Amino acid sequence: MRRCLMEGVEFQAELLNFRKDGSPLMNMLRMTPIYGDDETITHIIGIQFFTEANLDLGQLPGSSAKETSRISERFKFSPSPCVLVTDGKRNISGGVCGLMQLSDEVLSMKILSRLTPRDIASLGSVSQRLYELTKNEDLWRMVCQNAWGSETTRVLETVPGAKLLGWGRLARELTTLEAAAWRKLTVGGVVEPSRCNFSACAVGNRVVLFGGEGVNMQPLNDTFVLDLNSSNPEWQHVKVSSPPPGRWGHTLSCVNGSHLVLFGGCGRQGLLNDVFVLDLDATHPTWREISSLAPPLPRSWHSSCTLDGTKLIVSGGCADSGVLLSDTFSLDLSMEKPVWREIPVAWTPPSRLGHTLSVYGGRKILMFGGLAKSGPLRFRSSDVFTMDLSEEEPCWRCVTGSGMPGAGNPGGIAPPPRLDHVAVSLPGGRILIFGGSVAGLHSASQLYILDPTEEKPTWRILNVPGQPPRFAWGHSTCVVGGTRAIVLGGQTGEEWMLSELHELSLTSSTI
Amino acid sequence: MSSSTELTEKKVFLLKSLDGVIFEVEESVAVQLEVIRELIEGDCARPFISLYNVTSEILALVIEYCKHHAETCSGGTSATIADEDLKTFDNEFMNVDENILLELCSAADYLDIKSLFELTCRTLASLIKDRTIIEVRKMFNVENDFSVVEEKAVRKEFAWAFK
Repeated sequence: MRRCLMEGVEFQAELLNFRKDGSPLMNMLRMTPIYGDDETITHIIGIQFFTEANLDLGQLPGSSAKETSRISERFKFSPSPCVLVTDGKRNISGGVCGLMQLSDEVLSMKILSRLTPRDIASLGSVSQRLYELTKNEDLWRMVCQNAWGSETTRVLETVPGAKLLGWGRLARELTTLEAAAWRKLTVGGVVEPSRCNFSACAVGNRVVLFGGEGVNMQPLNDTFVLDLNSSNPEWQHVKVSSPPPGRWGHTLSCVNGSHLVLFGGCGRQGLLNDVFVLDLDATHPTWREISSLAPPLPRSWHSSCTLDGTKLIVSGGCADSGVLLSDTFSLDLSMEKPVWREIPVAWTPPSRLGHTLSVYGGRKILMFGGLAKSGPLRFRSSDVFTMDLSEEEPCWRCVTGSGMPGAGNPGGIAPPPRLDHVAVSLPGGRILIFGGSVAGLHSASQLYILDPTEEKPTWRILNVPGQPPRFAWGHSTCVVGGTRAIVLGGQTGEEWMLSELHELSLTSSTI
Repeated sequence: MSSSTELTEKKVFLLKSLDGVIFEVEESVAVQLEVIRELIEGDCARPFISLYNVTSEILALVIEYCKHHAETCSGGTSATIADEDLKTFDNEFMNVDENILLELCSAADYLDIKSLFELTCRTLASLIKDRTIIEVRKMFNVENDFSVVEEKAVRKEFAWAFK
């Protein structure tokens, strides 16, 4: 039957079938392909007749009147022609055996969906049927979801144009990074007074900027939003009630979808360890202080990331009188009364500031670079440490670095040591590093990639075309929709030009 | 219908494979085949059930799987030990050649044994993972039905996977 269907010729045969009650009947079936104008099969007409079967199948049930069980339907073919086709494929017809005996649904949704984008592309070259299966967008969506996590896929869905691009294309572009490019954007509006050392964070497709250091080291406490969905994006000052005390060297993170969480930094009275939350989607956005028990030491130039969409993770930074920190804290903001919890570890990487924390593989965090303590000295670092926070007793592991105990030589072409750089978590667990403060001559836009999930993680250089920025700092760069790193501020001397943006887009979907 | 059945007697069912071999199984095993569970629970099942899509070789394996799962789950051991035991058993059970695995997958789908279906699909996926095109064809008996021109075009289309 399948051979006829595939070759586009008529099929006619008598099939042994069964009634609901299990009694046999003969099913005379004819299936005729209907050709369209372009000589391809558009439909198949199926006609069937039932006749009594004169077969002895052994013991049969005495009564069938009450048997209405849905399950028994499975023993007979469905009258719909399209179902007939899949049922036909599912039959094990003794001897003929192989991957192709499985139905399309089982093959794609149950087996292929567990593979990586590369595996699927490779399978597409195996046979005609597998090639056809790799054209299915639902399969690609499942592959993306299984390979990258449902959170990442959800975020990708919010990328304008992602639907246009399709999951198959998206999977390819985010696997190979072949479409990655730098672009310069000019936006309207002004951010006044002028400033540096502010923090930026993305909420959906909006970039939010808070605080910073104004003239004469004045700590600022205003909030600006740039909506990248708009056709002419411009900076808008958001009038929020009860702004937090002014500061710089703080972190701004996105939690619970549309909420921003602000932690620490340096204010007029010195270092801070307070927490404020703002719901950007509220009718009247308000900064609300979260009074939480057992907060970490006041600090600035620490690093933060968001775990599970609700937990703020804070690590290291600079405490009073310039002491560097090496601790890691978490704050669960889904709780009504959030409590700070220090993550107890037997060993910590050397204390540091200006490093980055990235989340990968669900609940693992990766620390890279920063200005790290080394004996009585402080050096820029290119070390990589990871910690799996899903473990019962999480511990820091050294992945690659420049002479840490237990670490091998830096694998591949490691990025030069740096601080206040940018780290982007890519789907599948890879981390992309660029920018920051690097000793000597170095291009801020040179990209480095590391896959911490590999057995021996190795740094790679990624060259991308376009118009790169001259400088890129971690605190003033944010990642929008998982695929665009927005670098704020073309810098001319001391002055930050916030109307000039550089964008590193990883897919060709952006407008 | 069967209200007169002796309470002390364990109910058995006869499962007949495609090639006519009859297997006698206890109810605890038979109910794991979703495809007949409802019949049994509704007391509509006749003692003799023909499974026309499964060969005796595969049905024997399916029954071994269901038997072990039924015994482990009712064995009175703690849940964690039972889990560990089933994991070990499943791993060993999956140590069969690809053709048997494919047949088990089809059978589990047809007989609607969710855990076995998931297990075989997962195992098949792990077997396909990181294989070359030639390896997949050989391993799973897949015919290369592309013409030379088609194959060249397809390989070009998916060249990105091999970079």
